[in-house]
Amino acid sequence: MKTNFLNLQLNSPLVLASGILGLTASSMKRVVDNSCGAVTTKSFNLEARKGHPNPSIVPFEHGLLNAVGLSNPGAEEAIKEIERFKQVSDAPVFASIFGRTIDEYGKVAEIAVKAKPHLIEVNVSCPNVRSEFGTPFGDVPEDTAAITRLVKQVAGDIPVSIKLGPHGPGIARMAKVCEENGADAITAINTVGPGMLIDINVQKPVLSNKTGGVSGPAILPIAVKSVYEVYKNVSIPIIGTGGVTHWQDAVQMILAGASLVSLGTAVYYEGIDVFNKINMGIQTYLEKFGYESIEDFRGGAH
Amino acid sequence: MQTFPIQKIVEHGPGVKSFYFEQTFEALPGQFVNLWIPGVDEKPFSISCEQNGLTEISVKAYGPFTQELMKKKVGERLGLRGPFGHGFSLKENSLLIGGGIGIAPLRRLAQELSDLGMRFVSLLGAATEHELIFKSHFQEISTCYFYTDDGSFGEKGLVTEHLLQIIQDEKIEYIYAAGPEIMFVKVKELIDPLSIPYEFCMERYMKCGIGICGQCVLDDSGVRLCVEGPVLNQDDLKGVTELGKVHRNATGRRE
Ligand SMILES: Cc1cc2nc3c(=O)[nH]c(=O)nc-3n(C[C@H](O)[C@H](O)[C@H](O)COP(=O)(O)OP(=O)(O)OC[C@H]3O[C@@H](n4cnc5c(N)ncnc54)[C@H](O)[C@@H]3O)c2cc1C
Ligand SMILES: Cc1cc2nc3c(=O)[nH]c(=O)nc-3n(C[C@H](O)[C@H](O)[C@H](O)COP(=O)(O)O)c2cc1C
Ligand code: FES
Repeated sequence: MKTNFLNLQLNSPLVLASGILGLTASSMKRVVDNSCGAVTTKSFNLEARKGHPNPSIVPFEHGLLNAVGLSNPGAEEAIKEIERFKQVSDAPVFASIFGRTIDEYGKVAEIAVKAKPHLIEVNVSCPNVRSEFGTPFGDVPEDTAAITRLVKQVAGDIPVSIKLGPHGPGIARMAKVCEENGADAITAINTVGPGMLIDINVQKPVLSNKTGGVSGPAILPIAVKSVYEVYKNVSIPIIGTGGVTHWQDAVQMILAGASLVSLGTAVYYEGIDVFNKINMGIQTYLEKFGYESIEDFRGGAH
Repeated sequence: MQTFPIQKIVEHGPGVKSFYFEQTFEALPGQFVNLWIPGVDEKPFSISCEQNGLTEISVKAYGPFTQELMKKKVGERLGLRGPFGHGFSLKENSLLIGGGIGIAPLRRLAQELSDLGMRFVSLLGAATEHELIFKSHFQEISTCYFYTDDGSFGEKGLVTEHLLQIIQDEKIEYIYAAGPEIMFVKVKELIDPLSIPYEFCMERYMKCGIGICGQCVLDDSGVRLCVEGPVLNQDDLKGVTELGKVHRNATGRRE
């Protein structure tokens, strides 16, 4: 299912979300071999980070609660994986970056561009490092504006998408701030929360970090609504993310206004084959309604 | 997350213990659980036995987590998630090669093979006698060859010492191995030319145990050790270029 996005050509509108199997070229390659259109790396910053101790990812009935804590091997190491991936695959690769300070975003972006990723996704909305970083930059309009401008300056002709969460002063307003400051796209949404689960026998929080971001089926309605609102408020394209597990969920995202749909937690529920299954489902939907492509119904719910 | 009180603890020797929990699931030989010490961390451990309604894991004290585990007492609650991963296949006339704490998953395999009446031979090695855990169990149900680094039990040396001779003498048709990575490299080197099929039970740093974080993925195959492993066969291993060379630490960096 050929899909155009900004200046890119994808074989499917589906994208692997950041933080899921995106640590190495070999696992991203495996996902692309299962008909995923583009891959996003695990978010990286300047220095290597171990992340939080385990348990850092725990399933519950309707999704996952995670506080991986942005573990990553550091930007210089991470871009080697991007370079390796580009040697073995033609699929676009999105570099996900973050920083502990606004300046660090610029520095990490400078390193990221060396590997010439097809897009830079700027994670300003991770909810599980609050104890360390404080309020996410993505909740503060001035910070988000500054980061967007900074990354755009170093990105050159590589497009930049800002990844937002559903919190803060309102995602539609934040998306507008990104657009006004030069963002080429919006990724919505990151995990929701933070949330907490408590073990009733040990009588303590299960995550070592106590709190973490919620993903998976539980957040689909929040994600669909976020994409819907962002679509209304900006004209740059949206990578719709959050709770997409079945093809019907992906279609909802597109009807809300998403140009691409990314998924992560679904790999837990449906396996790596989930990309094949959702592609086939969307194809059936196109045929049923007589559409040529997903463009024909994008934003159709408005 | 489900937590269970420790039912029983057996000390095999200094720094090597088995912990028993009420059995709430059936695991295939080679599968593992994520063991959570509340307030400390959570790490993967193979199931070493399922018997009399108890699930057993066997642990060697190593770093901070396993040291902490050694202090746990009967009745204390630990989290147990699993069983995870893809286990051993069950084959006749096999050789079980175990090094150190790698003997743990082989104990569960030996139990299963023996229950099914399938013939196997055990080739076990460790640093010293008390680390040859379960040696009397293995002796009861199979022909055994033992090796220790210090010569305190069996022959002094490595399990690979007379490997080819044993394979020939015992008419071995299938090989299982679990232990340190350097042992796999040596074993693989020796048996690849024989074209006897084999399976290795491997270890990598794990976070999620459920196939999403990417931490345990092997280069260049993209195999997720927590889902498609920890037991890999000779075909799975063909695409693995990092065996005995590098692995990723908690940050994901190769070292
Ligand atoms: C599938 C699998 C089965 C295992 N089965 C057993 C077993 O039956 N008995 C046993 O004693 N040990 C087993 N291990 C190893 C066990 O998980 C490590 O001994 C333990 O994590 C060491 O932690 P530590 O804090 O004591 O030591 P550390 O000093 O932190 O680490 C010691 C070594 O263990 C490895 N390690 C540390 N953390 C992890 C982690 N989260 N995941 C995987 N490896 C890690 C490190 O790479 C290092 O080489 C198994 C590992 C895996 C992956
Ligand atoms: C284990 C895990 C790790 C994640 N790590 C990151 C990350 O490093 N950077 C990021 O921007 N988002 C990260 N996310 C968020 C996802 O990219 C995605 O936005 C969110 O999980 C919602 O989508 P899903 O329901 O399809 O998983 C992570 C999510 C999970 C479950
Ligand atoms: S430990 Fe997370 S993918 Fe295997």
